[in-house]
Amino acid sequence: MDLIFSLIINGLATGMLIFLLASGLTLIFGLMHVLNFAHGGLFVWGAYAGVFSYAYSGSFIVGIIVAILTGLVFGFITEKLIITPVYGNLVQQILITLGFMLVLQEMIKVVFGPNVVAVKVPELLAGSWQLGDIIIIKYRIFIIFFGFIIFGLFHYMLTRTKIGLVVRAGVMNSEMVQALGINIKRIFLVVFMTGSALAALAGVLFAPYSGAIYAELGMEFAIMAFIVVVIGGMGSFQGSLFAAILVGLAGSFMAYYVPYLSLAVNMIIMVVVLIFRPQGLFTTAKG
Amino acid sequence: MNKPILLSRSNIFLFIIVLALIAFPFVMDSRTLTILVTQILIFGILAMSYDILLGYTGIVSFGHAMFFGIGAYCTAIMLNDFESTIFVFIGSIAVGMVIAGILSFIVGLLTLRLKSHFFAMLTMAISGLLLVVAEKWRSVTKGNDGFTFKAPEVFKDRIVFYLVVLALIVIVFIVLKRFVNSPLGRVLIAVRENEQRTKSLGFKTLYYKVIASVLAGVIASLAGSLYAVSLRFVNTAVLTMEITLDALLMTIIGGVGTLIGPLVGAVVIESAQHYLSGLARDFPIFERWIIFFGIIYILAVIFFPKGIVGTIQAKYFQWKDKKAQLNVVPLSKNKESSK
Amino acid sequence: MMESLLKLDNINTHIGQYHILQGVHFEAKEGEVSVLLGRNGAGKTTTLKTIIGLTPATAGSVTFLNQDITKKPTYDIANLGIGYVPEDQGVFADLTVEENIKVAMRKENDESKEKLEYVLNLFPDLKKFWKKAGGNLSGGQKQMLAMARAFVNDSKLLLIDEPSKGLAPIVIEKVMEAIVEMKKQTSIVLVEQNFYMASKIGDTFTLIDDGRTVRHGEMKELIEDDELKHKYLGIG
Repeated sequence: MDLIFSLIINGLATGMLIFLLASGLTLIFGLMHVLNFAHGGLFVWGAYAGVFSYAYSGSFIVGIIVAILTGLVFGFITEKLIITPVYGNLVQQILITLGFMLVLQEMIKVVFGPNVVAVKVPELLAGSWQLGDIIIIKYRIFIIFFGFIIFGLFHYMLTRTKIGLVVRAGVMNSEMVQALGINIKRIFLVVFMTGSALAALAGVLFAPYSGAIYAELGMEFAIMAFIVVVIGGMGSFQGSLFAAILVGLAGSFMAYYVPYLSLAVNMIIMVVVLIFRPQGLFTTAKG
Repeated sequence: MNKPILLSRSNIFLFIIVLALIAFPFVMDSRTLTILVTQILIFGILAMSYDILLGYTGIVSFGHAMFFGIGAYCTAIMLNDFESTIFVFIGSIAVGMVIAGILSFIVGLLTLRLKSHFFAMLTMAISGLLLVVAEKWRSVTKGNDGFTFKAPEVFKDRIVFYLVVLALIVIVFIVLKRFVNSPLGRVLIAVRENEQRTKSLGFKTLYYKVIASVLAGVIASLAGSLYAVSLRFVNTAVLTMEITLDALLMTIIGGVGTLIGPLVGAVVIESAQHYLSGLARDFPIFERWIIFFGIIYILAVIFFPKGIVGTIQAKYFQWKDKKAQLNVVPLSKNKESSK
Repeated sequence: MMESLLKLDNINTHIGQYHILQGVHFEAKEGEVSVLLGRNGAGKTTTLKTIIGLTPATAGSVTFLNQDITKKPTYDIANLGIGYVPEDQGVFADLTVEENIKVAMRKENDESKEKLEYVLNLFPDLKKFWKKAGGNLSGGQKQMLAMARAFVNDSKLLLIDEPSKGLAPIVIEKVMEAIVEMKKQTSIVLVEQNFYMASKIGDTFTLIDDGRTVRHGEMKELIEDDELKHKYLGIG
């Protein structure tokens, strides 16, 4: 029982981090059909910028804020410099965002050094609670909690505010949104920057969770996020939460029971989804 | 009317280059240089196979390394476990090609019906999965540490191996050139230009795309086999994204959809890699040479999407058109067409 | 005569490599229903899309309220007061009727509330299904939602693409009534295959064939001209 409980906690925490990464990716794709292969680069930049400013200032909150700002700034630069010039050309977009991913990854090594950086859990969140037989690691609960708050916040924005409605409408039919007098490119820039900030946030939250960060992390996590986006349905915010938790839990249980299948399981879920529901689990047809 | 003349002229040009390449190791007695050129040729084969996908069919695969890796591992394992003879070597190439062919057939059938971004992601994920499997399956692959093996006796002489690779690249080039100029290749180009339209003309585009991906996979496996023998060593690096990216860079920088372009790209990238990593000993910044490449690559995608060969070709045709126009077309009509 | 509200002069439009429009002339006057007629594939839908800027013209000019809007982006054109109801209605399927309308409302003040009330009276069904997802509406309801949405979007001119398509005759009657009613508030450009509907509510007509304007005139003239109808519309 205690084992299953901690596996669930593990899976949820990982799932939440992937969700933060995937939710931005899915909205960026849904709105402008841009598949951003550089998204993982923003994850590592968030992790490094956050961790270094956390170490410098001694405050994890500062680290989180710096990570988010890094995400926003990098998101702005990426959209303006990388996405806009090749807008509408899918193959070029894939190629160029991947190239930018490489640059971001290597720049990490130049700016922060090529070595693995160890990260400690902030004091307030360190340690664990004991409930009978069950040991609960505080930081994991923090991630899950944080993830749900972010989900709630964005869910509220997407369903209750005008800009949220416009974003969702744009995902469904971007031409029509423009024909209603809304400059979708400006909306897209906002979404892109927000998505990048979420990726950077995921990075800085991930750092103490794993205890170590390195430049190649971005690519590894980006692949997970892509899998999640495909499973949940491109453009679906709820879908990305569901799929991220699914992938997180599956990974956590498999890692314990059938370790060599732990990575394969996500692939298998994705392949099954693609065969039976290629549009993903949560996407409805355009109407 | 111009085409056959142009083709034969460029054929003569290629012929001269091949002759020069044959003569090269005998003229320049440098082991490092021979190894470098061998490496260039091997990656040239890989890049050409990638061009079949990207340049001629218009699909972006991020999983090309898996076929390269399959070839490399087949050859390495067979040469290590059986006798290290030329026959085993040939057999291992064949086995690698068959496995790569089957795998690319299955992957293609499963993924090519999807839109290009799904395809790109899926190939990335599948090849990532294969890499993980290879890293976990240490009894066979020895993981990231890899293992060394003996190359067949004849290849002890680097020049012999070089000439074999050269012969193979010429064969591959001719085969691929024939392929892209065949009716089948024309359909692929039609798929690249407008898949929907090709479909509505009654072509089963999936079928053609699968053929292209199988061909590309098989050739990539050949390149992998040669690569393993050239190093006499193999580890999981042959399955990494970097291999795919190398092929991608070479194709883009050289010029997509030209076949010659990827070869030019291979020359540029491989020699730059070689010299820049040499420079890194004196100037540490060059350790991060990927950054320069990434930036050049990004700029190339934006400003120079046709690549080196593509741009030269376009310029050449432009010049040719102009000349033809000046000679034939009356002035008034010339004005009309230049509008 | 009244000032022309919208004017298309020798419009040429390419989609990809195809030269779809090759010389469309068209004029819409204030307070009128101007109907674009022509066979399937003649270029009527593309004409509307060119006006709203979704497929910008490659040559010629579009003038709206004495402003050249040929090269303007779609959202600017919409903001000048052109509303668009596409052939597939473009209803946001996952959004409710209310949310669909909310996306279209530029601001919330007395004037916009008045407009909203007006369309809801015009289309009582929308009020009934206020919280229903757009994707779950019937074809006729979707059409009404799309028209209401374009109307509350502060439009001085509505472009409506084949509103009768796929609707039952009784629903078509309702849509027609609504258009006649809306005409009191705004001008309308209508693309219509259904000649009965076009002839009943149209004031002027423009015949397009093979991407060119072939005839322009009062609807009365067309109704009486059997030869013209036969030649370009295959009726009469």
